[in-house]
Amino acid sequence: MRKDFDQLSYYEMLDIKPDAVPYEIRHAYNAALQLYQPGSLVSYSFFSDGERRAILSLVEKAYQTLINDQSRKDYDDELIRRGELEAREESAPDVRKPVSVFHISHGPAVRTVFISSDALKNKISQSQIITDILARSELSGEDLKQIRTELGLTIEQIAEETKIRVNNIRSIEEGQAEQMPPAVFLKGFVKSYLKCLGLESVEELSARYMNTVSRLK
Amino acid sequence: MAHVWPIGGGKGGSGKSFITSSLGRLSAELGKKTLIIDLDLGAANLHTLVGVPDPQKGFSDFIRKKIPLLEDTVVETPSPNLFLISGAHDNFDIANLSYEQKIRTLRAIAKLDFDRILLDLGAGTSFNTLDFFLISQNGIFITTPEPTSVENVYRLIRAIYFRRIRYCFNVTDFKELELEADRQFGDGSFNKPDSLMKVIARTNPEKYTQLNNEFGAFRFKLIINQVRRHDNVALGLQMSRMIEKHLGLNMEFLGNVAYDEHVHDAICQQVSFLERYPYTKTASDLRELGKLIVESAGKQLTLRYM
Repeated sequence: MRKDFDQLSYYEMLDIKPDAVPYEIRHAYNAALQLYQPGSLVSYSFFSDGERRAILSLVEKAYQTLINDQSRKDYDDELIRRGELEAREESAPDVRKPVSVFHISHGPAVRTVFISSDALKNKISQSQIITDILARSELSGEDLKQIRTELGLTIEQIAEETKIRVNNIRSIEEGQAEQMPPAVFLKGFVKSYLKCLGLESVEELSARYMNTVSRLK
Repeated sequence: MAHVWPIGGGKGGSGKSFITSSLGRLSAELGKKTLIIDLDLGAANLHTLVGVPDPQKGFSDFIRKKIPLLEDTVVETPSPNLFLISGAHDNFDIANLSYEQKIRTLRAIAKLDFDRILLDLGAGTSFNTLDFFLISQNGIFITTPEPTSVENVYRLIRAIYFRRIRYCFNVTDFKELELEADRQFGDGSFNKPDSLMKVIARTNPEKYTQLNNEFGAFRFKLIINQVRRHDNVALGLQMSRMIEKHLGLNMEFLGNVAYDEHVHDAICQQVSFLERYPYTKTASDLRELGKLIVESAGKQLTLRYM
């Protein structure tokens, strides 16, 4: 039998799936308002004033419940208890990143590997060599190169991630003053390089590197 | 068996006859032998729209039994493949068909040998309109994006719903049903088909299942006519969602037809709008609808309750 509106679950009221994301919920709520609010052409004469008020307050309640993570979870649990919703396995929310439309890679063909910062941090804390290097008071280009190879990253990958040109990265690692970009740019490049490697803290390390380099000059 | 498409809409002036004639022409052009019947009893004018200003015979000849068979009242139109049963010379009392006359007509329509039959129904919710609408599962509702028209189309849909329930019961049973609905759901609810259905579900589950199956089999369509540029184009979809959610009837939104001053011009000149202004938005909207109508198939004619 067709259920009355007040018998529907909040998801059915808003015509969304139980796994809808907040954006979809907000969108569905606006769509429902368009249907039911007084003065809407769609539901003109369809409901009496009392019915309309009842529906609108239900829609409002559905939205307030679902848009709040905690109350939504409570509501889901209740639905699951009533057997109206299947228990879903907990999975980490799938964060979507913008997808690049054009993939233009200048240097040699490089297989793009996403550099996962968690994995890097793990490696850094486990590697004896890196810990040693970071413990010193100086940080030369050679040290950076060593950390990079220790982490198993190529210059191209870093270039890909940071958008710094390959020859600039190379000059940072070689520490040859005449080939380096001007100090203003160099500072920024080094910071993104360090960030890309997942080293901490970027500010402190980049200052250490700049000091080392200026002493070489 | 022919595909019958009753076209109604509640409010007058929403373009039922114009759309009927246009869809008729389109379906004839697409190679279907098409018949349009003017069932806007008492306000017939379809003949003028399809270029037969003075038909020699018509629907009332069948009603008055001057012509015993309905197929003999069919006249040709200037368009190939398109035929008409006109209401041009209907008697002035034709608006009030008796029950026998109506049943005779419905049976005769069911027997006609055409590929597509379009019924142009009148405004309002008279029993004639409702019964002719219920002849097919594919009734088409036409409304304009104005509150007056939307209001009337909802009313027509509820009236049809109500009429179908009414057929299932005799007078005393139905009276009882109304009283029961009134007791349970309070004032005025005997006038709501959904409340009636709820009562039936409890008191008479057999009839309820039967009615429910029948309502489930309906494939009503909705066309929004005279859509101007600033109108809400999603209105049709939203309306069909409302009807499905709150009345439980299937309602498919077929499309919008744009408003165009030229429709008026074409009617005044008594020429086919589609031929005279083929490159307007309105004409292309109509062609889209025509394609849908011609391509759609499915179960037809529900005359079981007659």
